[in-house]
Amino acid sequence: MHETGKLMTRKDFLLEMDEILGLKTGTLRGDEKLEELENWDSTALISLIVLAETSNNVKISPDQVVGCSTVADLLRLAQVEG
Amino acid sequence: MTSETTTTHSDILRLLKFPTAAGDVLRKRHSLKKELLNQGNLVPTRIAILGGSTTSEVKNMLELFLLAQGIQPTFYESGYKQYAEDVLFENPSLWNFKPDIVFLHTTWHNVSQFPELLEAEMEVERRVHREMERFESLWEKISSDLGAVIIQNNFDLPRLRPLGNLEAFEPSGRINFLMRLNSEFANYARKHSRFLINDILYLSAQVGLDAWHGHTYWYNFHMAVSPTATVPLAQNVAAIIKSVYGKTKKCLVLDLDNTLWGGVVGDDGVQNLVLGREHPVGEAFLDFQRYVKELQRRGIILAVCSKNDVENAKEGFSHPDSILKLEDFGAFKANWNPKPDNIREIAMELNIGLDSLVFVDDNPAERSLVADQLPEVAVPDIGSDVSRFAEVLEHERYFEVDKIVQDDLNRSTFYSSNAQRSSYQSGFRDYGEFLSSLEMTAEIAPFSMVYLERITQLINKTNQFNLTTRRYTSAEIEEIAEDPGFVTLYGRLTDKFGDNGLVSALIGRVRGETLEMDLWLMSCRVLKRDMELAMFDALIEQCQARGIRKIVGVYIPSKKNGMVSGHYAGLGFARLSESSGDRESWEYDASQPHSARTRFIHRTTKALPTVANA
Repeated sequence: MHETGKLMTRKDFLLEMDEILGLKTGTLRGDEKLEELENWDSTALISLIVLAETSNNVKISPDQVVGCSTVADLLRLAQVEG
Repeated sequence: MTSETTTTHSDILRLLKFPTAAGDVLRKRHSLKKELLNQGNLVPTRIAILGGSTTSEVKNMLELFLLAQGIQPTFYESGYKQYAEDVLFENPSLWNFKPDIVFLHTTWHNVSQFPELLEAEMEVERRVHREMERFESLWEKISSDLGAVIIQNNFDLPRLRPLGNLEAFEPSGRINFLMRLNSEFANYARKHSRFLINDILYLSAQVGLDAWHGHTYWYNFHMAVSPTATVPLAQNVAAIIKSVYGKTKKCLVLDLDNTLWGGVVGDDGVQNLVLGREHPVGEAFLDFQRYVKELQRRGIILAVCSKNDVENAKEGFSHPDSILKLEDFGAFKANWNPKPDNIREIAMELNIGLDSLVFVDDNPAERSLVADQLPEVAVPDIGSDVSRFAEVLEHERYFEVDKIVQDDLNRSTFYSSNAQRSSYQSGFRDYGEFLSSLEMTAEIAPFSMVYLERITQLINKTNQFNLTTRRYTSAEIEEIAEDPGFVTLYGRLTDKFGDNGLVSALIGRVRGETLEMDLWLMSCRVLKRDMELAMFDALIEQCQARGIRKIVGVYIPSKKNGMVSGHYAGLGFARLSESSGDRESWEYDASQPHSARTRFIHRTTKALPTVANA
């Protein structure tokens, strides 16, 4: 799990996303299309919003997320670096 | 911890325990589910979630918390906001789904009409009435057509108050109106045993209204409850369902020093224990004792498991401020043996399974030892701060019940009577003489509606003396009771020490002149009392009266029912060749003349009066 109080990096976020989707650690690389991901559903989306809000204190409007089509789009929204 | 770290089984399942971090549960839902599905002995159930808002997150979280209770759900979800239409227009998918449980996930958003500003009180009451009619028509249709247990949210409160504090008491105020509806929902629940309230008014207050609703989730996803608040919501619904299946814990095992009072009674002396109103910590211990006493009064058995000399341990209860008294405990173990050994003995003495016990000890080493050696026992991370003990117990919902039945209220006294029975036994030359002196009477008769809830409870929580471990909902039991294609019997046992309650049930399916036993079980609290023989005698009578010539007994071995592996052989059944390791079949010729097997139990088919326990 990502360490509390520290901003998430791109790597952290991808690992958390693996976890949320129930994928093997290290599966996601950042260029995948969301629709094609195994287990992609509304709960996954909502869990990611909760994650970005609590870990990086980013307010993502869900509408913005709906506009995302790739993992890279999500990384941009969650404002993760590194 | 990083995601690469290897997490163990118990590490990940700890996420579901107090204090539950909702974000973690959401994130790890897939790993949690995978881990939970590895458990054996899951009870299947069919749940229809009829939503007044989005329900998929509720479903996903509910699945986790049910699996954690050993219940494996299959779900039906209504379309968005289709909770009323699905029922009123008899959606064939819902009707074909045949739910055991219907969960109506409605919130204040689903009130059809709030009062107009400054509307007269009488008109507001008419609105309450109309709203109730709308909901009642759904509940009654679900009940009559689907026969399912109903779990209905009461109403939470909106975050905004256009009328300010007037909302609470002005008749047209929304808060006042919602409270009126909640009161009417409660009235309905009191009159309908298979209708249960999921108290989201309380849950939302506990979480806080802002966190409960979240800010954007309603507009973007039409989630009436925020994702993080969905976690405690699901936990609460799972606790209700657990109680419907009778999976409630029965006994609270308590350490003494620094658990029920501050200090060590053996070292400090009873007069120096921290207990009482004059000390802040003493007051917290007093309040915890009061909470425990409340549990005991509603039928939870209390036991002591303490490293102490027994005399010192007992003396602690003579403290003038102690709310708990020695006679409140059904078992008392104070010695220097390892706690897991003592807890095993407590379970044996009380004749209940280890999985019915909750162990509370301020010492983390003892907790860890018990959790490790007795994984069936629930061991909450109670911490060492007494002011939070009750909160942790509440959070885990160990003792959730869907109603309080007379047997529950009798239970605590039953167990102290049981202790009397045991000491009484030691004075006899042989066991037969002991049984005979107990002056036992058994009421054995086909399933009766008055006992429906208790029969269901017994069926769903008995694991050891249970030949097939089949589980049933109360709706199924009701159907079977009325179906001439079944033979059913329940057994209730009383003796000179008091009422043991309804302790045995069996169900057989009639196929021509053969009766196939779907279920035969008995509460372990009446083991070795010949009650199974009394049930057998009654069963043979039923068969002979109905022209049944052959009984086929079925034994499905499970992890817990090894004690009944010889049940049918002992009764004189012959093992059939079709038996396998997973399922044994046994046959008995019911047409042969029968002489009663039980010598010590007087049988009657008439309702015995409720006997006050000695």
